[in-house]
Amino acid sequence: MATIKINEISKDELLWQIEYNSDRCTLCGKCVAACPFNAIEASVEKRRKVINEDSTPAPKVKFQTVPVIKQNINIKNFCRGCGICEKVCPNESIKPVRNTDEKFAMKVRAYTGDSYKRGGRNNLHTMPRALDKIKIGRISQMTDPSLDAQRHTFEMLAPFGRVLPPEQLPLTELNGQLELSKNLPPVRWIYPIILGDMSIGALSGRMWEALAIATAYMNEELGIPIRMCSGEGGMPVRLMKSRYLKYMILQIASGHFGWNRIINTMPEMTEDPAGILIKIGQGAKPGDGGLLQAKKVARHIQEIRGVPKADLLSPPNHQGLYSIEESVQKMFLSMNAAFKFRVPVAIKVSASVTSISVYNNLLRDPYNIVGGFFLDGIFGGTGAAHEISLNHTGHPILSKLRDCYLAAVHQGKQGQIPLWAAGGLGMNGNLAADAFKMMCLGANGVFTGKLLLQIAGCVGNDHGKCNACNTGLCPVGICTQNPVLVKRLDIDKVAENIVNYFIATDQEIKKLMAPIGNSSLPIGRSDALVTIDSSIAEKLQIQYAC
Amino acid sequence: MSEYNIKTNQIAIINGIVDGQRISTQQLLQELYNKLEEGYKEFEISASGQHDIGGPLWDKENKLLKFKVTNPGQRVGSMGMVGTEILVEGSAPADVGWLNAGAEITVKGDGGDTTAHCAASGKIYIAGRTGTRSGALMKHDPKFPPPEFWVLKNTGSFSFEFMGGGTAVICGHGCDNLNSVLGSRSCVGMVGGTVYVRGNVKELSSQVWLMDLNDGDKEFLLQGLPVFLDKIGKPELINELSKGLQDTKEDLSPSNKWSKIVAKTYEERKTKSLMPLKQFRLNKWVEGGIFGDLIEDDYSISDLVSTGDLRLKTPAWKNAAYSAPCEYNCPIGIPTQKRISLLRQGEIAKALELVLEFSPFPASVCGQVCPNLCVDECNRKYVDQPIKMAELGKLSKDIKVTTPNKENNRKVAVIGSGAAGLGAAWHLRKSGYKVDILEQDKVFGGKLKQVIPEDRLERNILETELQRIIDSGVNVKTNTRVDKELFSKLEKDYDAVVVAIGAHNPVVIPFEGHEKLVKGLDFLKAVNNGEKPHVGEKVVVIGAGNAAMDVVIGAYNLGAKEVTAIDIQKPAAFKKEIKHVEMLGAKILWPCFTDKINEKGVQLKDGRLLEADTVIISVGDRSDFSFIERDYLDERGLIKVNEYMQTVNNRKIFVPGDAVKLGLFTNALADGRKVAINIDKMLSGQPLDKFEKAPMIPQDRVKNEYYHPMNPQKVLEMKPEKETDRCLSCGYCRDCEYCKEICPEQAITRNSNPDGSFEYTSNSDKCIGCGICAGVCPCGIWTMDDNLAKHSED
Repeated sequence: MATIKINEISKDELLWQIEYNSDRCTLCGKCVAACPFNAIEASVEKRRKVINEDSTPAPKVKFQTVPVIKQNINIKNFCRGCGICEKVCPNESIKPVRNTDEKFAMKVRAYTGDSYKRGGRNNLHTMPRALDKIKIGRISQMTDPSLDAQRHTFEMLAPFGRVLPPEQLPLTELNGQLELSKNLPPVRWIYPIILGDMSIGALSGRMWEALAIATAYMNEELGIPIRMCSGEGGMPVRLMKSRYLKYMILQIASGHFGWNRIINTMPEMTEDPAGILIKIGQGAKPGDGGLLQAKKVARHIQEIRGVPKADLLSPPNHQGLYSIEESVQKMFLSMNAAFKFRVPVAIKVSASVTSISVYNNLLRDPYNIVGGFFLDGIFGGTGAAHEISLNHTGHPILSKLRDCYLAAVHQGKQGQIPLWAAGGLGMNGNLAADAFKMMCLGANGVFTGKLLLQIAGCVGNDHGKCNACNTGLCPVGICTQNPVLVKRLDIDKVAENIVNYFIATDQEIKKLMAPIGNSSLPIGRSDALVTIDSSIAEKLQIQYAC
Repeated sequence: MSEYNIKTNQIAIINGIVDGQRISTQQLLQELYNKLEEGYKEFEISASGQHDIGGPLWDKENKLLKFKVTNPGQRVGSMGMVGTEILVEGSAPADVGWLNAGAEITVKGDGGDTTAHCAASGKIYIAGRTGTRSGALMKHDPKFPPPEFWVLKNTGSFSFEFMGGGTAVICGHGCDNLNSVLGSRSCVGMVGGTVYVRGNVKELSSQVWLMDLNDGDKEFLLQGLPVFLDKIGKPELINELSKGLQDTKEDLSPSNKWSKIVAKTYEERKTKSLMPLKQFRLNKWVEGGIFGDLIEDDYSISDLVSTGDLRLKTPAWKNAAYSAPCEYNCPIGIPTQKRISLLRQGEIAKALELVLEFSPFPASVCGQVCPNLCVDECNRKYVDQPIKMAELGKLSKDIKVTTPNKENNRKVAVIGSGAAGLGAAWHLRKSGYKVDILEQDKVFGGKLKQVIPEDRLERNILETELQRIIDSGVNVKTNTRVDKELFSKLEKDYDAVVVAIGAHNPVVIPFEGHEKLVKGLDFLKAVNNGEKPHVGEKVVVIGAGNAAMDVVIGAYNLGAKEVTAIDIQKPAAFKKEIKHVEMLGAKILWPCFTDKINEKGVQLKDGRLLEADTVIISVGDRSDFSFIERDYLDERGLIKVNEYMQTVNNRKIFVPGDAVKLGLFTNALADGRKVAINIDKMLSGQPLDKFEKAPMIPQDRVKNEYYHPMNPQKVLEMKPEKETDRCLSCGYCRDCEYCKEICPEQAITRNSNPDGSFEYTSNSDKCIGCGICAGVCPCGIWTMDDNLAKHSED
């Protein structure tokens, strides 16, 4: 006879409600054994009926106590809708159901003075993505021969590095032969999709390693020259000493985590890394540095990062960089010098109202040391961003990418500092289409993170399902360092699923290149795009169609 | 009809240029149709690039139609039918034999792009090379003979794309210097048919097999090559081309070697030739994994539901790890859940004796005067009403004392025979001590006897329990007042001294007229002593604590008609006591601040006058420590004791009960028991006990859902022994075996110990950590430990 009080959380306010069928349940215990959030537990319920079976009133009390599975109703052990209970239930007797009348986020603020969650995905999608309103509308129909995706040879390579225009190539003539009079800035021609950049720490060891294995496999077994970016959490020494380092892009962010080990391993490296990415900001949480909750700072993370167990909050900006010029001169120079100017260096920023100014500034690049501009849009994922950042800060990526590309075109400098874009690509499950459209709008390539986790078995989605990436309780072992949960993840299957996904993606990109007649990547081929939305057409300068 | 015959042996000559003008394809073909209609069977066509010469045409009499063509346009022989023979002198542009449906087409020169494209029957012989996509989409309709496509030299790139049937023979003559006789990326999408090829082949599609010839293949070529060479007029090449088809020991140069290309079957196509990822990780990837030096990982995979260390939670049977609310809230800590458990097991004597381990007054105190704090949080109240604690206490009234197991030859003096003193004496005696009680009054029993009205405490019950103490061998000396001299003697003669003098100096507040006040304690003592003091009709009692309520009762018993208790704050008396006096008709007023006492009664500061014949003050009592040296006391005259109620000055002296802190009888009994146990510990050289209790079991861990609410009437009528059916056994295993039965993995066993005790264990090899045992346990014994939290502490 527990009393119900108004100012306590109640089931009708929760995000997810457990729908339970006592009649079908055999109390096998699987759901409660598998739920890492303690959102459900076994309990007992009373059943009481006072019935009459006589021809005159003769009350008969039927009393039963029935063991059941119950949802925990409190603000700590709330159901996140991950659906693991439903997965393991042999009798379809339990599942989480989204509560459309929930008041949870508001109530948690009121009760605790804090937001109910960190990390996961943006949960305030109120409109379809602009990308989904764009189609590839220029199909060769008797105009020019379309290519056959299956048999044609396609050159699907994107530059990572500073590309000099012909007139700036340091060529001199010697005995009738052209010769380079000095070294060219390093450029790696790589697959137009980069896996990344999720840190050791954000991901479990198995998940991160599975990504690295998939990357190596695609390069060595499939000939797909894909690269992976380390994220901000450093690199395992064993990987740096291996020949697979050449497929890895090292990231340096404001926390500079892991760089001591990188530097000290340099003498033992047999390969140069594929590149270096300076991370300034992230699309899902612009204005924040990296965030890793203490629960996830396991012993190996402490070691690689060189910090004790604590919430690891990287500063919101690189300390010591106070202007674009300084960023270029100091940061780009240092990172170029780190590998003796052999390894290209690019920079990643969160898409912002100011992105064009930044890009215009970078385009000047008098020292030829700016090897790429990575723009990250609002729909990206994050392990631990504050709910407010996640839902209310950031910038859609399409128009920003387009603006930057057109700014370069305006100067005649497109392609010189490669543009890479990201932020919710593959959110509807198809990366090829999104990547292709981004390239048509001017991206040299794209990068993707969240999608990889989906492929790996993440049970969450962009509508608030699970989204417990920061809790250290990831039910599938992807975003946790807890060995009990990590053991749930099959490293080989994850790698295999990622490889398979990219085999499909590779084919699908070709399926889009073929009909527009491109055998190389369709960078800036905005003529291939149409949209039924005239405002998108106007903003992106693509064709309006209806 | 005759006209037809006339034309049979004549040749129709058709020219693509008429009067110096090139005629259109349509005009030329129209001319051809006319001639055919006229019965011509042979045609010599000097074309000028006109398309589609040669098909689809047939003779009405099914006679052979022959075409000799020079300088044709595209698609010569396209859609050619059985019974059509086409000879092209020289080369032909694209699409020779396009959609060939049975014609024999010979080109003496080269064929253009897409030669034999979509050919499905008939034969196409090319004396030179052909262009890109030759043989693409060839197929074989089983109703017709398969198409054949013979090329003396080579084809362009993308040849035999999507080929679905038929046979092609690419002889590679004069192609020694070519990288690939089939160009690049040949046979993409090929699903059927056979391509024989002589010489180098590169960049072949992965959808086909490149194989050596078998005898049947050789036979086909050895039969077909002379025909082909004859058709194109180069029979002399037979030796060169058939070299690779002979049984010879001579090493063949690659350019002489024949091979054949066939499509993979549907099944073969589906099998992936990619290396499994696990093999890649084990054989090619960084040995031991890239985190191998940092994380221990055997890469084994656990199920979402696992046993052993991979469980998210692990169960533990923690019997009596929590206090039941009754045990927790009872100052003495009487574990009624254990008492009822013994009753439930039929161990009635043990159950009733158990209480005596805690208190000598189960019937008097638990049963009558105690406000029973124990039931305040009794979990049974969430079902119907709390356990009938008072009735249970009374059951122990007549339990006979058992003499101590052995005398220990130590002696303790106890000053005072109130609840604290008797409590201490009782427990000391049970432990084998010789106990002397020194009581200044003429009777022993302290305030229980001196001040509690008979309404609240039946005298015979009290006497029975007092007698039990005497029976235990405690020596009581009444009328013995302890002074300084005696005290120092006690100190010397005894191993320890318990100063349980209670509080017998009533506090008086010095209002104006305070000398008119009757002191509550004196009043109550007089009442119980049978003195019947006069109180008049109207009585005001200053103070509204429990003692004041006893005063109110006393006043009514002495004939008062109107009794009012006043207090400056919310009355401190228990609800039960207040209810009692209110039933008698008493009024309790608060806050009331007394200004002065006069003849009329009590004048309050707010101007009200409470009329009274007698004003009794009952706001507390103090102890009289005059027999103790001053330095034992603090500046307020209170005795200085540590947390064990041991005097700071002398470790042998213990001061329990009201002498250190005013409280209930149960508090005094608790103190008495504590000092008794600690004296024993002190004298046997053990560290003293702080009597910390296990935390009270959270309410939601005890499952009241198992219990059926009972009608209060029925509860009232039930014998207290039947409380076994009502007690929820909070935190104390009732041995119902629910866990054992419900465990889905049957992981739980019950183990009996030789001493009759038992325990339940869960087998970690079977247990999945579901927590159903904990969820259904009626008593809250099973506890789930968080295995995830354990790991996240690293």
